[in-house]
Amino acid sequence: MAVERVAARDRAAFLRRADHRLLRVGALAGLLVLWEALTRVGIIPALFLPSPLGVIRELGEMAASGQLIVHLGASLRRLLLGFALGAVAGVVVGVVTGFFSRAEAVGQPLIAATFPIPKIALLPLLILWLGLGEPSKVAVIALGVFFPMAINTYAGVREADPLLVRAAVAFGAGRWSVIRKVILPSALPMIFAGLKLGAGTALLLLVAAEMIAADSGIGFLVLHAGNIMDTTKLMVGIVCLSLLGVLSHWLLTRGERLAVPWRHTS
Amino acid sequence: MSFARSLVRALSVGLLAIGLVSSSAHAASPVKIGALKLTSSAPLFIGVDKGFFKEFGIEPELAFFQAAAPIATALATGQIDVGATGVTAALYNIVLGGEQIWLVADKGREWPGYSLTGIVVQKELYDGGLRSIADLKGKRIGITTLGSTFHYSLGNILEKSGLKLADVRVVPLQTMPAAIEALKGKQVDAILLPQPFPGTAEAQGFGKILFWAGDLHPWQTVAVFFSKKFAADRQRAVAFMKGYVKASRYYYDAVLVQKDGQPAPGPHYDEVVRITAKYTEAKPEVIRLGFPYQDRNARLLVTDIERQMAWWTENGFMKRTIPLKGIVDTSFVEEAAKAVPEK
Amino acid sequence: MLWPAGMRVIVDRLSKTYRDRSGQGVVALDGIGLTVEPEEFVAILGPSGCGKSTLLNIVGGLLGATSGEVVFEGERRSGQPLTATVFQEFALFPWRTVRGNVEFGLEELCVPATERRDRAARFIAMTGLEGFEGKYPHQLSGGMRQRVGIARALAVEPAVLLMDEPFSALDAQTRTLMMEELLGIWERTRTSILYVTHNIQEAVYMADRVVVLSRRPGRVLEIVPVELKRPRHEGQMGEPGFVQASERIWGLIKSQAQAVLVEGRG
Repeated sequence: MAVERVAARDRAAFLRRADHRLLRVGALAGLLVLWEALTRVGIIPALFLPSPLGVIRELGEMAASGQLIVHLGASLRRLLLGFALGAVAGVVVGVVTGFFSRAEAVGQPLIAATFPIPKIALLPLLILWLGLGEPSKVAVIALGVFFPMAINTYAGVREADPLLVRAAVAFGAGRWSVIRKVILPSALPMIFAGLKLGAGTALLLLVAAEMIAADSGIGFLVLHAGNIMDTTKLMVGIVCLSLLGVLSHWLLTRGERLAVPWRHTS
Repeated sequence: MSFARSLVRALSVGLLAIGLVSSSAHAASPVKIGALKLTSSAPLFIGVDKGFFKEFGIEPELAFFQAAAPIATALATGQIDVGATGVTAALYNIVLGGEQIWLVADKGREWPGYSLTGIVVQKELYDGGLRSIADLKGKRIGITTLGSTFHYSLGNILEKSGLKLADVRVVPLQTMPAAIEALKGKQVDAILLPQPFPGTAEAQGFGKILFWAGDLHPWQTVAVFFSKKFAADRQRAVAFMKGYVKASRYYYDAVLVQKDGQPAPGPHYDEVVRITAKYTEAKPEVIRLGFPYQDRNARLLVTDIERQMAWWTENGFMKRTIPLKGIVDTSFVEEAAKAVPEK
Repeated sequence: MLWPAGMRVIVDRLSKTYRDRSGQGVVALDGIGLTVEPEEFVAILGPSGCGKSTLLNIVGGLLGATSGEVVFEGERRSGQPLTATVFQEFALFPWRTVRGNVEFGLEELCVPATERRDRAARFIAMTGLEGFEGKYPHQLSGGMRQRVGIARALAVEPAVLLMDEPFSALDAQTRTLMMEELLGIWERTRTSILYVTHNIQEAVYMADRVVVLSRRPGRVLEIVPVELKRPRHEGQMGEPGFVQASERIWGLIKSQAQAVLVEGRG
């Protein structure tokens, strides 16, 4: 046996993950530059994939002419109204089915049966019932938001720490106090998760609804531009949708941080 | 080493064989024709059914679409060689966007005294007194898409009666069957659709044809287009056009000749009705209601093309107009009309 | 400190039987009888599963008895609750600040806002939480959290304070400090306290009398008085009175504890 002298080495170094901030930004910028270059040279035909600068220019023109506001405004109105209706209804149903066992017995099977239906498939039916105007569009968005909200709120309510409920009762809280002061706040993280899910679904359904008999809105813009083969306008519509998605996610994450300071879920 | 050599040899023989086979098959490969199941496509149906294309060495293959714009896209990507459909803003924008397609022949015009597109209103509204274009103010008018031929007709017809597009509620319904359903279900007050749909609506009792668009605003509505690749294949393109001109004359003589100011059945009238009914899957009685007008030799109304582009540009569907020589090529139809004997 | 004299708690032949999953009856408590005099500090001690928490919950109105009763006797201010509980796992509402938690019971008593704030402030000061009013539980250490729990219970000025192993979740050093603090607070408020613990030293150090329970089904083995002067201090841990009481109690429950160890939950 020989006497050894070995230094300790960091063998876990390969597990650590660096931020690579520069690479993140650089990759996206690089892709855009490449895309612009390929379009200029003609390798990418402009009709099928308009150049980034062309899209930005069109965006500026549409903003200046007021067209953009009209479409964005119409879409936002439908989105916000449908989202609000669906979210409120979903939270109420979620709380009621989560807290009252009879309501759960009635509500759970109904929700489980109707939830798997893709809401897009309900759109023609809603148009039949509510006409081609705003109500059918808001309704389909509301339906799409309702389900994740109801299901997530229900889960959040069921998950409420029984210890906290007991503590509330120990200090004199009755049924409604418990719901208001313990169940709802403790379900907030799940409610926000539901809101994020609902936001994605809402955007999808908005576009679908606007592609069927609408005369304004970003979904309509995308469809219409596609119909007349104005692919630059089409890209503007897609960019707007992407921005709407990113913005809503950012807003919800911020809102969650404010409303649920004791737990970060994302 | 010798294995690689023999592999290369086998590959080259194989490639050569494929080349030979494909070049000989080239002459016989079918010409894909994109069309809609409308009465306005009758000359094409006649040409296919009666073998007029085969006579000139062309194997035609009909591909049916649901609306005009997809045909334009299919032409631009070369998925079809010939497109037979409405002249729409999409088509002009494809050329503006840098992809070349060619307007080469007539296939239907809105024309006084002939039925292509009808303005069909709800039967109840007609019975209740809706009788003129002015009465359409504030009503919901269904069309397939914005930028379609129906949109163009509607806009121009309204302007002729002193109204604007903004004076009515234009409802895009995406497909022609959807538009019919919307009228039936009273979700719109009127629709603009081509034959045979207006005939069907009247026959089934839920609609009444208010006017034929051609009586109010004539224009070059439907045309034959060639894809860039097909147009470059001059020999085959002209051969196709010969078959088409022959079919157009057959069609014109059968259904479009006027007697006492009305189109009257000519030779082979019943045959043409039967063929049209077969391909559009509509009832013969409905087809008989009317056939759209087109030039006997399938020549284009070239001046109207400029007028159209100006209207689309004014209304914001196009950024600017295209010089005619960048989109219209009448040489094919001229060559074919001269070459095909009158019999 | 204007605290009414506190009430006497009489537990008379109290029994509790649970039904487990298979419908079998499990006797948690069997004929418990004890009395807590006004201003008295009584500890309840016993091996695992002896029903001490069950007893506390019944006294606190969180559980019903199968037979027997719990009666409160004495003077009570109008609006004064019979009991308030301090929980082993703190049971603080994570979405409420320290002040919000302390005010909870007062809210349920419908105390007007300004009065609530004043009363809460008194007990926040008393428990050494001054300066932390706006903090959330997740920002506090274990010891601080339990101070909030204590402040919350004291704020409603209950006739009897119930404490369910309040310092078990803390580390040894914090536990010792908190015990001292509690005694200090109790000296000032002199409310009746019913204190559940499994720690003999804790029980003897804090209480006037120690109720020793047997393993399941829980019966009173003996009520051991603690002959130590108040105010209590650390030095008393070596005194004969302390040692005797501790040894007496250990003698009572040692065999019980051994059996529980071997068989699982008594």
